[in-house]
Parts: sequence; C-alpha cells; structure tokens
Amino acid sequence: MLSSTSSFRPSDAPPTYQRELPAINLGRTWAIAALLFVIGFVLWELKWRTFGVEPSYRNSDGAWATQRRRIDQGEGHKTVLIGSSRVLFDVQLPIWQRVFGERPIQLALEGTSPIFALEDLADDPKFTGRLLIGITPPLFFSGFDRREKAVKTWRNETLAQRSGQWLSMLLLEPFFSFYDEDYALMTVLKRQEWWPVRPGVFLFKDVRRLAAQDADRNTRLWQKLETDLEYQALAKSIWRQLFAPPPGVTPEMARQNAEKQLERAVAAVAKLKARGVPVMFLRPPSTGEFLEAENKGFPRERTWNVLLERTGAPGIHFEDYPELQGLRLPEWSHLSAADAEIFTERLCRILEREHGWSAKSSTP
Amino acid sequence: MPPSTAEMLFNSLTFIVFFIVVLALHNAPLPWHAKKVNLLIASYIFYAAWSPPFVVVLWISTAIDWFVAKRLYVTEGIGKRRTLLWISMAANLGLLGYFKYGGFLVENFAIAAGAYGITYSPPTWNIVLPVGISFYTFQTMAYSLDVYFRRAKPAKSFLDFALFVTFFPQLVAGPIVRPVDLIPQFATPRTATPRQLGWGLMLMVLGLFQKIVLADGFLAPVADKVFGAKEMLHPLDAWLGTLAFSGQIFFDFAGYTTTAIGCALALGFSIPDNFRAPYAAIGFSDFWNRWHISLSSWLRDYLYIPLGGNRKGPVRTYINLMTTMLLGGLWHGAAWTFVVWGGLHGFYLCAERWLKPRLGHLAVWGTVGGKIALALLTYFLVNLTWVFFRAQDFSTARRMITSMLLIDGSGKPVLTMWFVISAAAVIAVMLITHWRLRHQTLHEEVQRWPALAVGTAWGAMLWLIVTTQGGGNAFIYFQF
Repeated sequence: MLSSTSSFRPSDAPPTYQRELPAINLGRTWAIAALLFVIGFVLWELKWRTFGVEPSYRNSDGAWATQRRRIDQGEGHKTVLIGSSRVLFDVQLPIWQRVFGERPIQLALEGTSPIFALEDLADDPKFTGRLLIGITPPLFFSGFDRREKAVKTWRNETLAQRSGQWLSMLLLEPFFSFYDEDYALMTVLKRQEWWPVRPGVFLFKDVRRLAAQDADRNTRLWQKLETDLEYQALAKSIWRQLFAPPPGVTPEMARQNAEKQLERAVAAVAKLKARGVPVMFLRPPSTGEFLEAENKGFPRERTWNVLLERTGAPGIHFEDYPELQGLRLPEWSHLSAADAEIFTERLCRILEREHGWSAKSSTP
Repeated sequence: MPPSTAEMLFNSLTFIVFFIVVLALHNAPLPWHAKKVNLLIASYIFYAAWSPPFVVVLWISTAIDWFVAKRLYVTEGIGKRRTLLWISMAANLGLLGYFKYGGFLVENFAIAAGAYGITYSPPTWNIVLPVGISFYTFQTMAYSLDVYFRRAKPAKSFLDFALFVTFFPQLVAGPIVRPVDLIPQFATPRTATPRQLGWGLMLMVLGLFQKIVLADGFLAPVADKVFGAKEMLHPLDAWLGTLAFSGQIFFDFAGYTTTAIGCALALGFSIPDNFRAPYAAIGFSDFWNRWHISLSSWLRDYLYIPLGGNRKGPVRTYINLMTTMLLGGLWHGAAWTFVVWGGLHGFYLCAERWLKPRLGHLAVWGTVGGKIALALLTYFLVNLTWVFFRAQDFSTARRMITSMLLIDGSGKPVLTMWFVISAAAVIAVMLITHWRLRHQTLHEEVQRWPALAVGTAWGAMLWLIVTTQGGGNAFIYFQF
C-alpha cells in the first residue's frame, strides 16, 4: 500500500515520525539550568567590571560598514578619517565637531594599513568630502591589511548581517562588559600563563584591549593603560615583539613592498584630487622604543617625505609642530584620552590655519 | 567558489529574535492554515535574509517537482513517465550543476584540452552558490522519484509540499528529510506540548554548544592552524590538527542538525536524527549508518539500489559502492579532494565487504577489546579521509599524510601547549561519549540522570555558549 504523502522508507518506522522525549522533569531541569546560568553570568560580568572594563561598542566589521554606509546615504560630502589605530584613538570626533561644526565619519581601523580604504574611497564617486589619512609607517608602508574584510563586509552585507549588527548594538554592546572579543572564554584561557611553553613553538602575545568605542566609532585609549602600570607594561612588551622585521622579509623585499604601497597611494590620491577631494596626510605622535623602531625601520626621508612628494598632497607630521609634541602616550603608540582631546583641538587649528579647512569648505 | 558566510545563522542574534517571533505566531490563536502560511513566509524570510533573489531558485525546484509528481501519478505510459522524471532530474541537477559544478567542469575541461595541446581560456565563473541547494534539491528529487517508482502518492496540498521543501529549521543544511517523515505532520494542527517545547529548547542549547563552544571555540583554531601551515609539520601537530578537524566537522554539522531538530520540536514537529555517535562505529557500513544518515540513506535508496545494489554479483556490487561514494564525495563540493574523500570511503566499504566473510568469524571481534580496536581502526581510517576533505589542495594533503604516517618526522611544531591540551581533551571526551551512546539515544541517556545533574549540565552549556561569544561563523555544511 502506498503511503499517503510519498516516500518509501526501508525501515519499519511508523508512517508519521514522532520524536521521543526523555522521561524527566523538564520544568525542574530548566529551573536549575536557568538559575545556574544566571549566577554564572552575573559572576562573569562582575569579574570584568572589577578588572576595569566598562561596556563599549565593538570595533567590528559591521560597525565599520555602518559608518561607511553613511557616505552612500547622503553624507558623502563630509570629512572622512582613515588610517590605523592612532587616527582612531587620537582624533576625537566631539572636539572636531566643536571646531568645525561637523562630526567626521571615522573609518580608521586598528592594526592595518588603510590603503584598501583609500582605494575604496577613491573609487566611490559618492565621496566628495575631505579625507584625512593617518600614517603609521610600519603598517602603511608594509601594506599589512589585517582588516580589509571590513570593506568586503560593507559591499556584501546581507540583511541577516545588518540586522545582527543592529541588534548587537541595541541589546548587548552598550550593556555588557564581558561582550568583547578580548574576554571571550577561549581567548582568556589561551592567554593564561600557566600553560607550559612547547619547545620550538613561537608564542606571539596578542594585542590586548586598548580602547573604548562609541556607537559612531569615536574611540579613546582605555583608561586602564594610564592607571594600571602592569597592564601598560604588558602593552609595551607586546609592541616590542613587532619591532623586529617579520621572519623571511629581507630589506630588499621590504623596499619593494613599500614602493608598491606608494604606487597604490599615488594612484588613489590622483583619483581623489581629480574629483576635487582635499586629501591630507597625518603622522600622529609616537614615542619611546616604538618611535625608535619606526625611525629605524621606516625613516622619514624614505617614507613620509616620499609619500608627500609623490602624491603631491599636504601632510602634518607631529615632529614639525611643537604643539603636537610633549603629549602623553602611556604605551608609546597612542595618546591618553585627555591628551587626544588636546591633540585634536590643536590639529584642527593647524588644519584651519595652514590648510584652510573650515566648516564651510566641507559642505557640498 | 567562496562559501557564503552571511546567512541567518542559528548562532546569531537575528535568529534568536526571528525564532521568538515565529514561536509566538505559531502559538497564537490562529487557524491551522494561517499558521502554516506563517511558517512558509518565515521560511522564505529566513532564506531571503541571505540573498532575496535566490528564493526564486527555491521556488523553481518546488514548483517543478510539485507538477511533475502530480502528472507522474496519473500518467501510465512508461515513455511519458520517464520524460516527466527526466524533467525533474534535469531541472534539479541542472540547477545544482550550474551553480555548484559549472566552474569545476569548465576549469577541468580547460585542463583536459590543454593536455591535448588545445589552448582554451575559460571565462571567469563567478557564480554564487545558493545556500542549501544540495539539500533542498535532493529533498524534492526524492519526492518525484518516490512517485515515479510508485512507492508513494503525491502530497494533496501545495502549501504542505512547499512547507516541506522550505521548512526553515532544516532548509539550508538538512537533515534531508523524507516526505513521509514531514508532510503528514503538516496535515493536522500541531503546536508543541510543554514537554516538547522544553526538550526542543534543550536540544537547541546542546546544538549551539556543539557549534559555538566545541567546533568554533576549541577545535577550529587548531585545525585552521595546522591545515593553514605551509611547511612540513611535526607528526603530533599533523595528527592533532586532523583529529581536531574530525571533531570540528562533527560538532559543526551535528550541532546544526541538533539545533534544527530542537527548533522543529519546539514548534511541535519531529525531524529524524542525522547522527548516531558516528565515531563509535565499528567498520564503515556502521559508520555510514551513523554519519549524515539522511544523505547516506538517500544515496542508498536513490542511487546504490537503483544501480543494482548487491543484487548483480560481487563485481557490480563493488562498482556500485565506488560509484555511490565517489558521487557522494562530489556532492560535498566541486573539487577533486572531495572525490578522493568519497573514493577512500568507497574503497573502505569494498574492503570491508571483501574481508567480512574471510575474517569476520574470528572470536576476537566479539570481545570488548576487539570491538574497541575495530572502532579505533575505523576512526583512524576516517581521519585519513578527513585530511582530503579539509585540505585546500593536494600538496597540503600530501604533507599532512606524510607526517601523520611518520614517513617524514622532521616537521616543525606549530601548536602551542594550550592547543595541544585543549584539542586532545575535547577529542578524548568526544570519543568516550560516542562509545557510551553507541547503543542508546541521547534522551535515553539523559533520563538516567537526576534533574540536578541535567540542569547543571545544561546551565553550564548555556554559560559556555554566552561566554565563548562566538564570531557568528557559518556552519561548514552551508557551503555544500
């Protein structure tokens, strides 16, 4: 006899499959599970609050895509900031807004060369505003593009991804300290120092949490870097790992790579200029061993000076401006939150004074 | 062809909100017809959240098999019936071929032409693979094939059939549910009983724990590190990377199906198991009765048996086994590494079939030690196949196998002690659990525990899911 709605089954299963259930008290089980979960959850959140963490928006590709989309949605005439973590942490959007009357779109990404973002904006006719490009020499001239996926996310973001980003920013990120990739359980376990070292395996210490971020990606150095000397020392020890050239990269390879990045920058800036977009390079401050390593590996005359010369774009190097020096960089690479505000104010004044940037010039 | 990683994933906030809304609507005081329409719309939204245009492909597959099956049922002439069946096969396999295998075929044609001195530069095949196409096309083909073979009548309601094809819990990565298992459940009103809801939600927690904590949290970084290495690896690293992948793919896929089963149960529907402790398998027939059961039984019923199965003599049986497994390998992806994976499984099945009458009678296989030895041998051989499944190319696979078989033991260690210890611990616990569940189901095991122990285990899983956070990684089987 044929079954009523199709399909032969080799087994002798009943016509309508019915899943069996365990003979246990599910209500009591759920009550115990929920209680234990809530206790564990609260303790975990408290642990990170005690460590000094406050809720912060995540510096995710989705957050970047949200800001990048503003250019498509009628804000293409605004100032856009790209670069690495120094522009991200050191340029404070509220201060910029106070000076210029306009809050820029923050598209800088940490630990990566901004070349891909520069090329992306150069190819986008909707972007007609002003562009500030932060230069961290070891990243920019090596072309290290750790966060290039952000652009792909913006281009290909699906409805599911966009709604996920929106829900995360609405329901989780503003409220929970533990909700940060630095405090994901596996990351925490992996970083414990009790694990024996395996001979022959290179142990690279990951960069730890450095900043706190707002919904529009305005970002500031985390206060713990200023107040907790042990944490500050950890951050410095992590930077020290980066001072030597990566294994297998010869000086000639590094030179060729830097040349390639210069060519990419020249081509992108030419496109922007042709569209009438003012472009400004910025070399934010660094200090201590970090600055020494940068000057040794990427001396100004072979990098920054060449970049300005070949692109024909103006630039602001912190070494050329006394008012941009002497500020506090707790871990050699980023300004403290308070000094980032001072830096931004002074930067804006230089832009205004020497390059004619004003609130008016950014309107379409 | 890059796998898509932007679907509405079970391990995402969007899905949690989506599921709460669906659950609320399904339990609202609405007529059964309206609830089914709600489920169908929700399923299309679930799929469209990845890419709205590809819903059309889903519609094409649904519409063709609905009409073909109806016509098949009332058509008598063998010629006409074959033509109708060919329409279904051509449409479904055509969609699959175009989206999944087009680039692979063109690329290999160019290589073959080059071997004969003919230069052919194929155009870039930049076609996105619709998520879940391998699953839903197999599901709709099974429906038409059953009606063709006069094993079943077509469904009476188009809504029920469309919901069967599209039902969101199993739409994108299975199980490949048979019509008889699901369509009758749409005929009468059903919402979950409180016990079904409770157990369904527990299964969802278990599935997400498998995916987020075990697959993505513990094992994926180890497998990625090892298979991403460009140099010869130390044998311990090569083995741990492969073992980690064996666990990753199990927890990823079983995690998906467990979540899907739980999700359906919370709505009042029952979907059959897709895994039964596969790494406790003794031999490869046993393995394929435990691993991706819905695919292996599909291949058996709609490919191996129609090819003649074991009814046409030993040689044909071996050929049929190899053909089935090679195509099964290719089902997973358009790459020769998948073909080798399927070929190895076919070879294992053939070898087992040849050896069984010759060595199967030995008393040692009946002892606990003998069974454990055979299970470990099976797991060892399965791991060799996983190397080809995971490796991005043959040179990586060759390096891995060379190191694992100690042909070259001079490789470099790359795994830190955390990776070594955590992966080894998870794999050990997985194997013990599979052995324990070898002859029983999860619910049978769970009901032996006191409520306090079960509650503690599920509370811990929930906590681990939340604290692991998870990066919203796509399930591996989405790309198939």
